[in-house]
Amino acid sequence: MTDLGDHDSFSADELQAAEYALGVLAGAEREAAARRVARERAFAALVAEWEGRLAPWAAEIPELAPPPQVWERIAAALPSVRRQRTGFWQSLVFWRSFGMVSAFAAACLAVLLYLGAGTKQAAFVASIEGDGQRIFVAAVDVKRRAVAVIPVAYRPDPTRVPELWLIPFGGKPLPLGVLPADGLAQIAIPPAFADQASRDAVLAVSLEPPGGSPTGQPTGPVIGSGKLTNL
Amino acid sequence: MDLNRNRKLITAALAAAGRGDRDALQTVYRLTTAKLFAVCMRILGERGEAEDALQEVYMTVWRKAAAFDPALSSPMTWLIAIARNRAIDHLRTRGQNRHMEPIEAAVELADDKPIADAALQGAQEQAQLQRCLDALAAHERAALRGAFFDGNTYEELAQRMKVPLGTMKSWIRRAMIKLKACLEQ
Repeated sequence: MTDLGDHDSFSADELQAAEYALGVLAGAEREAAARRVARERAFAALVAEWEGRLAPWAAEIPELAPPPQVWERIAAALPSVRRQRTGFWQSLVFWRSFGMVSAFAAACLAVLLYLGAGTKQAAFVASIEGDGQRIFVAAVDVKRRAVAVIPVAYRPDPTRVPELWLIPFGGKPLPLGVLPADGLAQIAIPPAFADQASRDAVLAVSLEPPGGSPTGQPTGPVIGSGKLTNL
Repeated sequence: MDLNRNRKLITAALAAAGRGDRDALQTVYRLTTAKLFAVCMRILGERGEAEDALQEVYMTVWRKAAAFDPALSSPMTWLIAIARNRAIDHLRTRGQNRHMEPIEAAVELADDKPIADAALQGAQEQAQLQRCLDALAAHERAALRGAFFDGNTYEELAQRMKVPLGTMKSWIRRAMIKLKACLEQ
């Protein structure tokens, strides 16, 4: 028998990466590994190496076509407006190169430029904050019934997605859609909600299962919120 | 479809999906869904749940497509990892794994013979992995198989193979050390 000692030829990181890629972890251990994948590039690379070693094994599983409804459900859950990723002012590097104070102003300005709102009267902005941090900034273009949102200090969650809500003054949250974890998102405000997107309404972001809240109301923790104010 | 062309198509479609192109996501779906659904079904063992997991897989692909780096992994490796992770998340939330029948390490299951699948990975990589798996002790290979195909945790594998948890952890760790060494030869 070729004895390799005990675990000594793997570092703690390598072992955790291998265990996560294989899928033997559960509960808090699995969550901890998933968080490291989301936040630590070197650890994510170790996991990717292990996924690469194991993936050829999946060749043993014969292909199986899912029913067509699955794609229909996916298509329905995709945001109605395409994400725009071109343009230097949309890059995260650009946003983060600002200090926190000027970042908000710069973000509002650029978001408005992006929307092409032109007139300030037709626009509201919100700083979506939680835990003492600005997590997203948003600008509402009333005329075009659109809201643009950009992450500032949002940390992607391994299992849940951020969903944007419009909460009218004294009212219940209205779902606006799932946000991408990075980059600028432009979301159409349904005509039925458009009148609610006014001064003193609140924009909030909650963490929801992939695809968004199944109930039409927030089901996960609210990670940030902010009032709509005139620019 | 030939391997390189398929791989290039998926890579290009992922890049376009990362820029927000919905049609490109549909292309990724069309090229890969039969494999990823099979992976979800294999782990979850229940159609409705596998369909839910599959939907989450492609929503995850949509969100993460821009972060896919073809220099770091092949597109199918990346997609299979997402599918296994979503399916395993479902299993862990459910809290009960359907695959709990005892595993007899000495008996290799009849349906576990490798099937060539050119669309998935190079035949060479498959052959190499198979050779390295064959070089493991039967109990080590059986434990890895339960984890990879059935989504079992350390605890579940210990139960299925009737050994203490510590023994199972040491089997799997040792198996992975040997596997890595063999694949790097």
